[in-house]
Amino acid sequence: MPGLQVQLRSASPIRLEAEFDCGAGELVALVGPSGSGKTSMLRAIAGLWTPADVQGRIQVDGQSWLDTAAGVHLSPQARRAGLVFQHYALFPHMTAHANVALAAGPGWTGEDVQALLQRLGLAGLSQRRPMQLSGGQQQRVALARALVRVMPRPSSASRAAVPEPVPGVLLLDEPFSAVDAPTRQTLYRELAGLRQKVSVPMVLVTHDLAEARRLADRVVIVDAGQTLQTGEPARVFASPRNARVAELVGIQNHFEGCFFKDQDGWGRLRWTDAPPSGAGVDLAVFDKNKIDDGTPVTWVLNGEQVDVVADAGAPGVAEPGQTRLRCQLLEVLSLAEISLCTLRPQDLPSQTITLNLTSRQLRRLEVGAGGWVQLLIAPQALHIMPVRTK
Amino acid sequence: MDWSALHVSLTLAALTTLALLPVGLALARWLAVTAWAGRPVVEALLLLPLLLPPTVIGFYFLVAFGQGSAWGAWLAASGVRLVFTLEGLLLVSVLVNLPFMVQPIQRAFAAVPHSLREAAWVSGLSSWQTFWRIELPLAWPGLLAGMALTVAHTLGEFGVVLMVGGNIEGETRTLSVSLYDKVQGMDLQSAHVMALALVGISLLALSLVLAFDRVGQRGRALQER
Repeated sequence: MPGLQVQLRSASPIRLEAEFDCGAGELVALVGPSGSGKTSMLRAIAGLWTPADVQGRIQVDGQSWLDTAAGVHLSPQARRAGLVFQHYALFPHMTAHANVALAAGPGWTGEDVQALLQRLGLAGLSQRRPMQLSGGQQQRVALARALVRVMPRPSSASRAAVPEPVPGVLLLDEPFSAVDAPTRQTLYRELAGLRQKVSVPMVLVTHDLAEARRLADRVVIVDAGQTLQTGEPARVFASPRNARVAELVGIQNHFEGCFFKDQDGWGRLRWTDAPPSGAGVDLAVFDKNKIDDGTPVTWVLNGEQVDVVADAGAPGVAEPGQTRLRCQLLEVLSLAEISLCTLRPQDLPSQTITLNLTSRQLRRLEVGAGGWVQLLIAPQALHIMPVRTK
Repeated sequence: MDWSALHVSLTLAALTTLALLPVGLALARWLAVTAWAGRPVVEALLLLPLLLPPTVIGFYFLVAFGQGSAWGAWLAASGVRLVFTLEGLLLVSVLVNLPFMVQPIQRAFAAVPHSLREAAWVSGLSSWQTFWRIELPLAWPGLLAGMALTVAHTLGEFGVVLMVGGNIEGETRTLSVSLYDKVQGMDLQSAHVMALALVGISLLALSLVLAFDRVGQRGRALQER
């Protein structure tokens, strides 16, 4: 089976329950807060960290790097994992060229290494030591050093008709955290370009959601040593599997409620205000027959699918199933083209909804802080999750 | 100037340093990375010669290797004489110089970030290759500092030399012992020359230690970037 498959379980020193895979040429981002265990997972793949009680398997292109059932445990040297360390860990007493040449196997000549450095925009810097390079340049040397571990041998490519495949993985541990923002943008582009040329599984560890969303084909949400959810970024961000994932991916507008079944595939989401008011509002939702009647749920309001209309004037025609919610605009924070609006539902005085409206939308509504608007909430804008049970 | 004493001193310093280097290197590297719980005990034992009066070490050496002990008698029967010989002096000199050699080297190895070892391993280097190609080149200022300190300390050693080596010209009479003799004999002119020579050599050695330490610090600063 091509690509990388990881299944790991351990109880100490940290609890670990990891299960994810990464296809050849695919970029998977492990995303989670610091201390969540994502770096430990990366180190486990590289063979640098193996808990004594670990159970599971790490396979790369069908080759077992770790298989506790079969007693397989390869050393880091035998694994062919190209690892870019968070702070690069370049050898300070060696030139950029020597750093890369050290990791290159037999079949790599000095010229091959030089050609690789040239491809990464380091042609004139190959004889410099790490100290004489900028952060972004160091990062590229670290990337080159990791790449030579997983690229086919250049000389074999010229001699044999088909270059021998290298069963390897490219592992990137927060590689962009130590460089300034403009350099980061350049490196993003370079990583994207690199993916056209190298078709090994790539695993990126990051705590930056925007970065994961931008770079990764799929994200794996990691928390407290567990892989909680895997999927395409847009999907995970739009439909988090549970409240913890929603929290981790920074979703605004996530609330508690209770789900009730109605008829004909429709249900009701009862959104209850905190005491003392205890008032409630019913929102129409689809009943996908996945949740039992009367189940407490957490739910997310996807602001991009909410229509905001002026409060004055005709009530207008709500589409079937749309819920109309009258809200007061509490606060407007204008950030260039986008205005961050905080709204309070009329009947739920202790709840607030946050919406990003364009300045143009806001002008059309002719409303400012303190004014009233109406939200038209379609069932598609509501994503319901069972309350996470520990 | 007592040239024979200078010769003995320099010979002893050179041999001590040469003999101690591999031992100190192995011990220092091990202490720098080991997670073993007994490490503080080993470190304390290695530092002990710094605190103990040289006479204590000399005394135990005489007890252990003198004709009075069974071991000493067996050695003497085998034709090995350690008391009042340069060989014996060398043995005890290696012992008392352990902290001077091990400490700077251990500090130098401990300052090599562990991530560099890991980077070497994932680059395919064995532990042995990692030691030779990554750790040793980064720790060399510590090695030079340890060697310079050992040389300086051996030249200045007095108590142990007197107890273990006696005062045999051309064999165990070092510069510092000869200086003592000259002062006893009121030959202050010679004493001045030798004292000055010892000051000069020690100052040179210490300057080298500090210079190497600075090189080492620069190396560490660069690794932390």
